Amino acid sequence: MNASTATATSPLRPPGSAWPSRAPLLLLLAVALAVPLFVRSATYLHILILLLLYAYLTTSWNLVGGFAGVLPLGHAAFVGIGAYTSTVLSLQYGVSPWVGMIVGGFLSTLVGVLIGLPTFKMRGAYFALATIAFAEGLRVMVENIDRLGPFLLNGPRGLQIPPLELGFGRFMFAEKEPYYYIILAMLVLAVGITWAVSRSKLGYCLAAGGEEPEAAQSLGINVARVKLVAMAISSFLTSLAGTFWAQFTLYIHPKSVMSLDISFEIAFIALIGGRGSIAGPLLGALLLRPVSDFSRIHFGDTLPGLHLVIFGGVLILVMLYQPRGLQEPLTRLYRRALARSAGMRERG
Amino acid sequence: MKSYRILAVSALCCGLLLWAAAEAPAQAVVKVGNILPLSGPSASVGLQNKQAQDMAVQEINDAGGIKSLGGAKIQMLYADSESKPEKGVAEAERFINTEKVHILTGAWNSAVSYPVSAVAERYQIPFLVPVSVADKITEQGFKYVFRIAAKDSWWTRDQFAFLKDLQAEFNTKISTLAFVYENGDWGKGFAEGWKKHAQAGGYKVVLDEPYPSTATDLSPVVQKIKRANPDVLLLTSNAADAILLTNTMAEYKVKPKAIIASGGGHADPSYLKAAGKNARYLFDIVEWETDVNKPGAKETNEKFKKLYGYNLTGESVDAYAAMYVLADALERAASTDPKAIRDALAKTRLTKGPAMIVGYDAIEFDESGQNKHAALVMVQVNDLGKGLERITVWPKASRRAGYKPVFPIP
Repeated sequence: MNASTATATSPLRPPGSAWPSRAPLLLLLAVALAVPLFVRSATYLHILILLLLYAYLTTSWNLVGGFAGVLPLGHAAFVGIGAYTSTVLSLQYGVSPWVGMIVGGFLSTLVGVLIGLPTFKMRGAYFALATIAFAEGLRVMVENIDRLGPFLLNGPRGLQIPPLELGFGRFMFAEKEPYYYIILAMLVLAVGITWAVSRSKLGYCLAAGGEEPEAAQSLGINVARVKLVAMAISSFLTSLAGTFWAQFTLYIHPKSVMSLDISFEIAFIALIGGRGSIAGPLLGALLLRPVSDFSRIHFGDTLPGLHLVIFGGVLILVMLYQPRGLQEPLTRLYRRALARSAGMRERG
Repeated sequence: MKSYRILAVSALCCGLLLWAAAEAPAQAVVKVGNILPLSGPSASVGLQNKQAQDMAVQEINDAGGIKSLGGAKIQMLYADSESKPEKGVAEAERFINTEKVHILTGAWNSAVSYPVSAVAERYQIPFLVPVSVADKITEQGFKYVFRIAAKDSWWTRDQFAFLKDLQAEFNTKISTLAFVYENGDWGKGFAEGWKKHAQAGGYKVVLDEPYPSTATDLSPVVQKIKRANPDVLLLTSNAADAILLTNTMAEYKVKPKAIIASGGGHADPSYLKAAGKNARYLFDIVEWETDVNKPGAKETNEKFKKLYGYNLTGESVDAYAAMYVLADALERAASTDPKAIRDALAKTRLTKGPAMIVGYDAIEFDESGQNKHAALVMVQVNDLGKGLERITVWPKASRRAGYKPVFPIP
């Protein structure tokens, strides 16, 4: 049970129910749009921006990790490529990070397809391991390269972006609000793309190939090709987040934008929220990011490391009781409530 | 689909945010936000920093707090950076915006202090850095960053000054050098300095070998050192790899005339325990040693050891001294306004008091915010009949009375 049957736009649902099914997402969007009007503190906006950033990363990841039924654990590589491409281009050549963002996106797509070609033949853990190996390999290389041809990477010391020119064109702001709305727009875009993919032929082919590759192949689906297409889209979108990260923190080094921690956190969020659904990554980020940030803020100083224990505990609990993520039981509840309000009785 | 719960969860999150945002700051104290790696790979050094600062703040508060502010107490707030820049930045923002701290300190990791210094500058909150040594931290033209420790380039400069003095003292010529260093931020920074100084000093570099500090086998590196056969080996290592290198070198019987380490792993108390006699005759550059000839140093170290169970290190001493530098600035500022504190810090000239257990005679910041008097000492590991110990040998004025360094390694 994967992808298409669990998504908002499942073809099995009766017509006319599209609006109520999308209502929570639209409401969430309305709330998200209004948040900066209420949350004036830069601290909490910062935390919310990171929340949206991770929701975006996981949504992008979900195209491969959820719909294509494999577990890629090397998406940090694309974050890194995006961050480094736009930063190097803007620091050395004065190219606007917005342009660098797109260049980085295409570079990541290329790399993503190149990784996908040999690795999509692997199954299960082997695929996950191969992607980890690739991302770590790339990080180690960047850590040991000060200069790649004409491009200054500065090895393990990373690159600092001096906050000299502020403004939209330079993708740099003194306030948090612009960052908030940019990442929110990116998230809406990624969710939209996921939604479009999930109801397209590509989405069905992906779901079929993820569940039963042999059966799908016997029906004439080129499983490897559809997975590659998903990987291309996913790596492109992930890479954009890298540029956002660089412009938001104004400092990147291999251990921050290319670390395995990012890949793992994305996978955790997806697992908690529910892989292969549109709402899963959003739910996962909404639950896990605040747990991680607030436990760090409140316990990080008194009992060092306790926040990591809490984080791990939540993860274990959800995996024990809701191994398919929170998205499924919540969907069931919502449907039941809808049915009840419509005066009908429905059994879960 | 999706559900009410999405709303419930988001509402809960928003609620949490508002609740946390509504917490009001307390009064009549000087709030210091301290960002340190309290979990993750650097947790143990982060903790040592915290303990040294806690001890200093306790002493300052017990002695009546800041008198010019009516006896205001210093309140330390701690945040965990997990050694990650983005978390350090988030915590700096939280300290400034939510906790309304008057001053920031930390963050041990240069990679965290660097972006945090930009946050501090933007909000105009002074950022007092005890030990992040990367040169660039005070070289950004910022007005609100102040650093106690000697910076990267001074460490390598002093290692080569020592090398020169050593040759003069023993009348032995050193012509070839080997550089072996961990391939991170810190090691690479050192190697750059070494290359520059080697060129200027006319030494021949026979080996330039970075290695990953997580390596579990360093025998290929040691074989390279053996083949290169340098007069002097310069090292920059973290704790586990320092031990591994020293023991592997003993196994392969690699014996250059001298080995000069760069603190860090070699200064970690676990190093001497695990490397044992293999570490004998090693030279190590540090900011401070327990045998430093300064009044009060011994007592302060005893007190620290009693409280926490181990000796002060150079880094903890910087962290300890930083709190007295802050107290001194607050006394002179007679205000908790961050701008006034900043101006007072810039005019610091501290020559007495508990902070002077440091190995030099004054703390004073230059234009860039760097403590211009920060100095380093070279120690040699030797056994004088009471087990292995670290003995200060350089500069000559600080050398432990009656000790003559052993060179070349017998």
